[in-house]
Amino acid sequence: MSDDFTTVGKRVPMVDGTQKVTGHGIYTDDIKLPGMLHARIVRSTQPHARILRLDTARAESLPGVFAVVTGKDLTGKYGILPVGHDETALAVDKVRYVGEGIAAIAARTPEIAEEAAHLIDVAYEPLPAYFDPIKAMNQPDVLIHEDKPGNIERDYHHDFGNVEQGFADADLIRDDSFFCPRVTHAAMEPHSTLASFEGGKLTVWSSTQTPYYLHRTLALVLGMPMSSIRVIKPLVGGGFGGKDEPLGHEICTAALAIKSGRPVRLTISREEVFYIHRGRPAQHVWLKTGVTRDGRITAVHCKTIQDGGAYCSYGVVTILYSGALLGAIYDIRNFRYDGYRVLTNLPACGAMRGHGSVNVRFAFESQMDILAREIGIDPADMRLRNALEPNSRTANDLRVTSYGYPECIRKVVERSGWNEKKGKLPYGKGIGIAGSHYVSGAANAIIRSKMPHSNVMLKLDIDGGVTIYTGTAEIGQGSDTIQVQIVAEELGIGLERVRIVSADSDLTPMDLGSYSSRVTFMAGNACLRAAREMKSKINRAAADLLKVAPEQLVNRDSRIFVSSDPQRAVTFDETVVHALGTQGGTLVSQGSYTPPDEAKGGKFKGSGVGPGVAYSYSAQVAEVSVDVETGQVTVERIVAAHDCGRALNPLTVEGQIEGSVSMGLGQALTEEVKYDQGLTMNPGLLEYKTGGIRDTPIIESIIVESVDPEGPFGAKEAGEGSLAAVIPAVANAIYDAVGVRIKELPLTPERILKAIQEKQHR
Amino acid sequence: MMRLPAFEVILPSTLEEAAGFLADHHQQTKIYAGGTDLVPSMKQGLFEPDYVLDIKSLPGLNGITDLPDGGVRIGALTTVSELAASPVLRREFPVLARAAATVAGPNLRNAGTLGGNICLDTRCYWYNQSFFWRSACGFCIKKDGSTCHVAPGSKQCWAVYSGDTAPALMVLGGRVKLTSRAEERVVPLTDFFVNDGLGRNVIRPDEILTEVLIPAARRGYAGHYEKFRVRGSVDYPLAGVAASGKPGGGGDLRIGLTAVNPRPVLLDRLDGLSLEDICNQAKRTAKPLKTSASTMEYRRHMIGVLVKRAIRGLSASSD
Repeated sequence: MSDDFTTVGKRVPMVDGTQKVTGHGIYTDDIKLPGMLHARIVRSTQPHARILRLDTARAESLPGVFAVVTGKDLTGKYGILPVGHDETALAVDKVRYVGEGIAAIAARTPEIAEEAAHLIDVAYEPLPAYFDPIKAMNQPDVLIHEDKPGNIERDYHHDFGNVEQGFADADLIRDDSFFCPRVTHAAMEPHSTLASFEGGKLTVWSSTQTPYYLHRTLALVLGMPMSSIRVIKPLVGGGFGGKDEPLGHEICTAALAIKSGRPVRLTISREEVFYIHRGRPAQHVWLKTGVTRDGRITAVHCKTIQDGGAYCSYGVVTILYSGALLGAIYDIRNFRYDGYRVLTNLPACGAMRGHGSVNVRFAFESQMDILAREIGIDPADMRLRNALEPNSRTANDLRVTSYGYPECIRKVVERSGWNEKKGKLPYGKGIGIAGSHYVSGAANAIIRSKMPHSNVMLKLDIDGGVTIYTGTAEIGQGSDTIQVQIVAEELGIGLERVRIVSADSDLTPMDLGSYSSRVTFMAGNACLRAAREMKSKINRAAADLLKVAPEQLVNRDSRIFVSSDPQRAVTFDETVVHALGTQGGTLVSQGSYTPPDEAKGGKFKGSGVGPGVAYSYSAQVAEVSVDVETGQVTVERIVAAHDCGRALNPLTVEGQIEGSVSMGLGQALTEEVKYDQGLTMNPGLLEYKTGGIRDTPIIESIIVESVDPEGPFGAKEAGEGSLAAVIPAVANAIYDAVGVRIKELPLTPERILKAIQEKQHR
Repeated sequence: MMRLPAFEVILPSTLEEAAGFLADHHQQTKIYAGGTDLVPSMKQGLFEPDYVLDIKSLPGLNGITDLPDGGVRIGALTTVSELAASPVLRREFPVLARAAATVAGPNLRNAGTLGGNICLDTRCYWYNQSFFWRSACGFCIKKDGSTCHVAPGSKQCWAVYSGDTAPALMVLGGRVKLTSRAEERVVPLTDFFVNDGLGRNVIRPDEILTEVLIPAARRGYAGHYEKFRVRGSVDYPLAGVAASGKPGGGGDLRIGLTAVNPRPVLLDRLDGLSLEDICNQAKRTAKPLKTSASTMEYRRHMIGVLVKRAIRGLSASSD
């Protein structure tokens, strides 16, 4: 493969950027249909209670109210995972957390809908409620779900290699416990859905990362064939995992449109985003690691308990990722994993950027820093000594192909001045290093089948423009831009000739959606295959015009020329005219992507989660200052290297690295969803403390290009793998600065000061 | 989306007209200037006035005027940004300019007014929430309920006063002019606030805070403001300390505390006390409760640290 690209690898602004920065972009909440009603969800004030009475008569009789639905109207159970169909769109018989929907109302105005919400008459019989996963496990007087004994959603116990022997071979063993509280995505756009029902056909516009799963779930719950439902994803103002499963309000909006016969729109409030939640779970991590004197890891035992909230959501996947991904960054031949996903009476947790891996990575990379210091090895060097080999299989049977992690470490060591600063900074200043990784596309679909994971169609017509039809969900991450670049590169034409239609089920082929960092790799490959097919059609026509064999042709700069004689050329436009005339009119092509069998993982129970078609890697160095009188931390600088295979668009890769770092810093330093007796205490962006620009340090992004053998043009993911490393990098830097080890997030000044004071008193 | 309840906007063209309207309708009216405190609270159903009296275009209530006696008069509608940028305040009354510069974020400072910042409603986790949220916890003593969730059994409200400019004005000996149809009165800020989240201050419902007067006494004094918050912008203070004293550490020290009690508190007659004594006095005065982020213990600790830093800042800023 030549590196001589025309659009791949170039700093191309996002194709939907202009409409966003000018305010012209259309998000779901911007769409208005004639006669449209406004919906509102009525929510539970109880954390756990039986519904004794739910009377909607007064609300329904309020003038301007067109439809009211309750759980009795939507009893079909669903969930993103086939093993987790435990949710209904609205609570039936019992509520399981404060904020759970109990009724939905459609009215002429939002004000009438709100007034009607106050007229819903509900009576509860309170049940004992559990807010702590350990209490929920240990005192299961009352089950949150009848079929989940001990309030355990799912537990897994994995054992790879010989763990006992591994610990016996260790020169040093550390056993540490860590805790991470709940954090949330805080996407800029609150969820919004619009539905219309006309002539027996339902159309749903929704701010979703997974239109295909929404499509399936609407069909399942509403009892309609998928062919009678059209799902459209307008612009989405960020997802980060919070919109990557079908959600109750989406189903309610559709049900209200069907019942009222009018279009219905529902945009939820920021407070309600916290009730939908689906964020990162609170998680206890007990980690035991053995190492030899020369820094090689001999064995790892990780036990973890996650507070999953009231419903499964992605929980079974989250608890599996927490274990499986232990294997995919360092060469750990012996490891044991005990993971418990526990139900509580809090909003359901789900997927969040770095899904399942982030909290364990905080624990692992913190403990590695401890171990390195105790045996007297440089923490960067210790990581290199435990590197995997490219093109290898891990102890838990994950296939690792391209592996740029060592290069990431070397690059951040060099750029940060690690060797000059480490151990030499004055008290109060510190430097720390850590690594992280993520799947670049889950090798197994959520619903197992032989279907390709991504499908793309191309159309080339008389205007000389190519249209991409793709089911991918652009959610701000740049997937539309990347697909346009791939098609333009392969066809040798400018970006301006390529248009993209994405995520409209009437027009675009199926794609699994924007989760598990799969889109560039999978839809990118589908685009590449579709473009190659299109190119062969174009080049057949060009070969005809130039009287050469198609294999001798090169496509570049909207010209097609003979490789041995570049002056012998035809323009793209004249070739298109000839191709349309000789090949039956409009040219179409198709491409798809199915993960290879050898990437799909082992055969043990739970082996389906963890396998990626590739893995991305990140290493980061943090420099901090700690105010020893207050415990306040200032992160001065982050140097972050990310192995994304080939960077198809360095501009958007850097954007993803910076976004991951700043999001990770929020979890590291300030973010925590707080609860009191099941009530979310900080359900808004004033009291939920995501950092702003004043809290963001200098971030130096370094792109490491390992060029993956199977990625499109060698590309892998860039959106998730860099989040986790920043948290332990900062924790390790704090240790370097003031000698205190904080094992509980966030790394607040209170905790740091307390640790400093305790250390001084010892 | 959270929506505003229905209300009628009243647009008076003179102060007299505004005061007249308020005299007749003060029970059903909220005063609107910058709106940065009122509007979110109205969306949460904390206030459901029939009328919103929009005073932001009233003439004569803007700007910072140097008075012949060396004092300064500041119109209540002067924005927080204008305070932070004012050359006369930065030079002669720096504690106020510095405190103003830390309020919220830039766009809120552009909208928010001095009068509004002084009259800021007290804040609490259990109060600044939507109607739904408050109904789920059975409401609280400050709004619609009878329990204080922060101090159960308490007869008063412990919601915390979180303005940044008030402690700065208090150390400067600032006074506020309150205007009603019947009278105009001037109240020192030290007498303006009430240590109860319910009463908050002595302003009567028919009065409008129209101007702030800073006496000449501390013109040219050193001034400093220290603020603890979680983020570098936007956040209300979790502890705030204003300090004013003679340049060069020459005494006449006054300290103002905010965000650790239901009202801002002035500490004076401090000359002769050691730095440690002053810090301890401040820490004893501060009664942070679980109304806000962080912990009570840490916020009290921070009051001690910030007092020390503010006093040291006085010497530094006069160099």
